[in-house]
Amino acid sequence: MKTKNNTLLYILFITFFAILLPAGYLTGFLSVNTISVWGRYFCFAIAALGIDLIWGYTGILSMCQAFFFCLGSYGIAMHLLLKKTVASGATLPDFMAWNKIETLPFFWQPFHSFGWSVALCLLIPAAFAFIIGLVLFRSRIKGVYMAIITQALTLAMWLIFLRNETNLGGTNGLTDFNSILGYPLSSSSVKLALYLVSLAVLCTAYFCCYRITHSKFGKVLQAIRDSESRVSYTAYKVVDYKLAVFVVAALLAAVGGMLYLPQTGIITPGRMDVKASVEMVMWVALGGRGNLKGAVIGALLVNFLYSICTSLFPDSWLFILGFLFVITVLYFDKGFMGLGDTIRQKFSAARLKTSQTH
Amino acid sequence: MNTSLLRMLMCCLLLLPLFSAGQDSASIYTAQLLQPTADSVRTQAIGRLAILRIPATFPLLMAINDKKLYLLDEKAVTIDSNPSSEGTYRLYSLYPNNTLLTNSSGQPLLLPLSALKTVDIPRADRLQLAGIAPLFNLFNSDPQKRSLAYSQLKHTSDSATLSILKAALAKESNADALRTGKDALYAIQLYKASTTVSAKANIDSIADNWSDNAPVLLRDYARSGFLNQETAQYAAAKAAGLEKRYDNLQRVQHFFSGLSLGSILVLIALGLAIVYGLAGIINMAHGEFMMIGAYTTYCTQIVFTKALGIPQTDLFFFFALPCSFLVAGALGWVLERLVIRHLYAKPLESLLATWGVSLILIQTARLLFGDLTAVKTPQLLAGGWQVSPHLTLPYNRLFIIALSMLVVLFTYLMLYRTRLGLQIRSVTQNRQMSACLGIETRRVASITFFIGSGLAGLAGCAITLIGNVVPDMGQTYIVDSFLVVVTGGVGKLAGTILSGLGIGFFTKISESFFQAVYGKVFILVFIMLFMQYKPKGLFPDKGRIAED
Repeated sequence: MKTKNNTLLYILFITFFAILLPAGYLTGFLSVNTISVWGRYFCFAIAALGIDLIWGYTGILSMCQAFFFCLGSYGIAMHLLLKKTVASGATLPDFMAWNKIETLPFFWQPFHSFGWSVALCLLIPAAFAFIIGLVLFRSRIKGVYMAIITQALTLAMWLIFLRNETNLGGTNGLTDFNSILGYPLSSSSVKLALYLVSLAVLCTAYFCCYRITHSKFGKVLQAIRDSESRVSYTAYKVVDYKLAVFVVAALLAAVGGMLYLPQTGIITPGRMDVKASVEMVMWVALGGRGNLKGAVIGALLVNFLYSICTSLFPDSWLFILGFLFVITVLYFDKGFMGLGDTIRQKFSAARLKTSQTH
Repeated sequence: MNTSLLRMLMCCLLLLPLFSAGQDSASIYTAQLLQPTADSVRTQAIGRLAILRIPATFPLLMAINDKKLYLLDEKAVTIDSNPSSEGTYRLYSLYPNNTLLTNSSGQPLLLPLSALKTVDIPRADRLQLAGIAPLFNLFNSDPQKRSLAYSQLKHTSDSATLSILKAALAKESNADALRTGKDALYAIQLYKASTTVSAKANIDSIADNWSDNAPVLLRDYARSGFLNQETAQYAAAKAAGLEKRYDNLQRVQHFFSGLSLGSILVLIALGLAIVYGLAGIINMAHGEFMMIGAYTTYCTQIVFTKALGIPQTDLFFFFALPCSFLVAGALGWVLERLVIRHLYAKPLESLLATWGVSLILIQTARLLFGDLTAVKTPQLLAGGWQVSPHLTLPYNRLFIIALSMLVVLFTYLMLYRTRLGLQIRSVTQNRQMSACLGIETRRVASITFFIGSGLAGLAGCAITLIGNVVPDMGQTYIVDSFLVVVTGGVGKLAGTILSGLGIGFFTKISESFFQAVYGKVFILVFIMLFMQYKPKGLFPDKGRIAED
C-alpha cells in the first residue's frame, strides 16, 4: 500500500512539473518567469535533499549548507562572468576594474573553461566539507555544538565573502551575465531548458538519495542518528560514515547552487548569511525530516509561500514564517509529510481515551 | 629683483597693525562694511581688513566668516553658538570691544533671532577672509576650530603671526587645543632656530608636548635635515621614542577594548549558558531579549522626556536598568510558558522554534519602532577617563565592565548561595533525580528562564550606551555568545566568564594584527582547533554526570 501511494505521488509530481507546467507555458497560460521561478525552487529542493540526508537521516544539524550552496553558485558565476568579459574584449570583470585590480587573481584562472568550472564547483565544496567534517567529527563534536560551530563557520565565510579584497564582488556579489555555453540567458527557451534540467537533476538526486537511504549505508546513518554510541560499540567507524554523508550533502547543495545561478542571474553573500542557513534547515523541518519527499515538498512549499506572501502582504512574511517554525516544531514533529500520520495518531489516541472512559 | 621688492612691500603691510595708524583705518573700514554706500565699497573694506590683520577686528571678521553677523540698534553683534531653551541667544558686541551684552540689571541680554537684523555678506566677499581665517579662528569659541587654526599656522614664519599665536595661546583654555597650539608654536620656533641648542630645546618641547602630530612633525624635520645632521638625528630619535610610547599605549587600549567586548559577551552569554545548562535549550531568541532590553531603555527615555517632561536627566538610564531586566524577563517567562516548555532536552528542535520566535520578535520591533533609533548616553557616562593624553578610557565602556562584574557576582551568589541556586544546579545536573527529590523542576526552569532572559535584557540596556538600537541588533551578538557558551562548557559560570573574556581579548588582539573580519575568522579557526582537545568546552562535566 505504501509503495502504491509513493508511485502515485511520483506520477503526480512528474506530470505536474514535467508536462503540465511546460505545456502551460507553451500554450501561453504561464509566463516564462513562473517557469524560471519554479526552476529555482527545484535547486533549493536539491539542497534540501542534502540537508535531509545529513540532518533527517543522520541527525547532524549542519548550518553550513547555505555556504556550500553559494560555493556552487559562485563558481558558475565566475565562469559566466569571465566568458562575458572575454566576449566583450576586456581582460577583467567590471567590478575588479573598479577596485583597481590589474591582473586576474589566480583562483579565477581555471574558471575560463566550463569543464573546469563544473569540476571545481563540485571539488571545492567537497574539499571544504571534508576538512570541516574531519575536524569536527574527529573531535566528536555533535548535536548543538555541531550546529553552533557550523553556524559560526558560515558567518565567518559570509564575512569573508562580503569583503572586496577577496575579489568575489563583495556585498554586491556577482551579477550581469549574458550567456551560458553560448546560449543567451535571457531567451525563453534557455530558461525552459534550465527549468527542465533542474527538474531532471532534482529527480536524479532524489533517486540517488532514495537509493542511499535504502541501502545498508543509509541504515547505518539512521542507526547513528538513533544511537551513535551503540553504532560505534558495534565496530562501525562512525566518523567515516558521518564524513561521507557530510560530503554528499555538501555536493548536493553545490549542485543546487550551480543550477540556481543561471536562473536568477545574481549571487550575493546574502544567500549564505545566518538567516539563509537557518531557513534552509527549516524547509526540511517544515516538509518533514527523515523523509526525502518531505524535504522536496518543504523546500518547494516554503519558497512558493514566500513568493506569494511577500507580494501580497510583505510586512507579515516574517510573522508567518516565524509562526510556521514554532507550530511545526511544537505540533508537527514530522512536518508536512507527517501531517496525516500525526493527526491520525492524535485522533486514535483521543478515541482510545474516550473508549476507555466509557 | 621685482619679487624681493614685492616681498618687502608685503612685509610692510603685515607690520601695519603694529602702527596705531592702522587702528583708525580699521574703524573707517568697519563702518564702511556695516553701512556700505555700494557693494564694491564693502568688498574693498573686507579686503582691506583682511590685509591689515588687526587683532581688534578679528571678532568681527570671524562673525562674517561664520555668517553670524547681526545688527542691533545699528551696532554689529554676534550670537552665542547654542540657543537657550526658549530659543533666545546671548549677544556679543564686535568692534571695537568684544564683550557680552547685558541688559540694564546687569544680566546677560537674551534675544531671539527675530529681534536682530541679519547682515548678509556675499560669498565672494567672505572668500577674501580665507587667507586669515586661521588667524582669527585662534579666538573662536569652538575649541575644534581653534585646534584647526593652530595646526594651519604651523608652517607660517612671520613674527606678526607668531605674536598673535602667542597671545592666543596665553588665553587658551582647552587642553587639546592648547596641545595643538604649543605644537604649532614649537614647530615655528624649531624651523627658525639657528643653533643646535635651541633646535634641540624645541625638539624636546615638541616631544614633551606630545601632540598627535608630533612624531610626523619630528620625522619631517629629521628628513629635511634643516639645520644640521645632529639635530636631524636627535629629532628622529625623539620621534621613534614617541612612536614606541604610543604603541605601548595602543596596546593598553586594545587590552581595554578586549576587556570591554569580553564583558559584553559575558553579560549576554551568562543567561544563555544558565538556560542551556539547565534545560538543554538553545535559545536563538536570546539576542532578541537583548533587543527588547534595549528598546525598553529607549521607551524609558521617551517616557522620561516626553510624558514626564524631564529632558535633561540621567535618571532614565538608571530606571531603565531594572526595567529592561524585568520586561525582558517577563517576556522570556511567557515564551517559556508557551513554547519552550514543550521542548525540554530537545536542543535542536528548540533551536528552530526559538529562531521562529526571534523572527517574530524582530518583525514586531520593526513594525513598532521603525528601523533605527538611538538612546542618548547619559551625561554622567559621556566622555572618558583621560589616563594620559593619548589614552582615554570611555566611561560607558568602564560602566559596562563594572556592570558585568556586578552581574557575574550576583549570578554567582544566586547560584551558589541561595536555595533557588541549589535547585537550579541540581536540575542542571539531573532533571529526573531532582524531580524525585521533590524539586519542582518546571517552576525552577521557568524562573531560570526569567532570570536568563532578564540578564539578556540588562545586556541590551548596557549596549545602548555604545551602539544604536536596531531591530536585528541581537543577531550580531548571538553567534558570538553561543561560541562563548560552547567554548566555556555548558552551564558553567566560570567557563562562560573565562571564555567570554578570552574571546573578547582574542578578537580585539587579532583585530589589531589583521583586519576585523580576518580576526573573526582567526578566532573561529582557533575555537575549532581548541575543540579538538576539549570537545566539551573548558570545564567539561566529569564522571557520572557527563552524558554518553
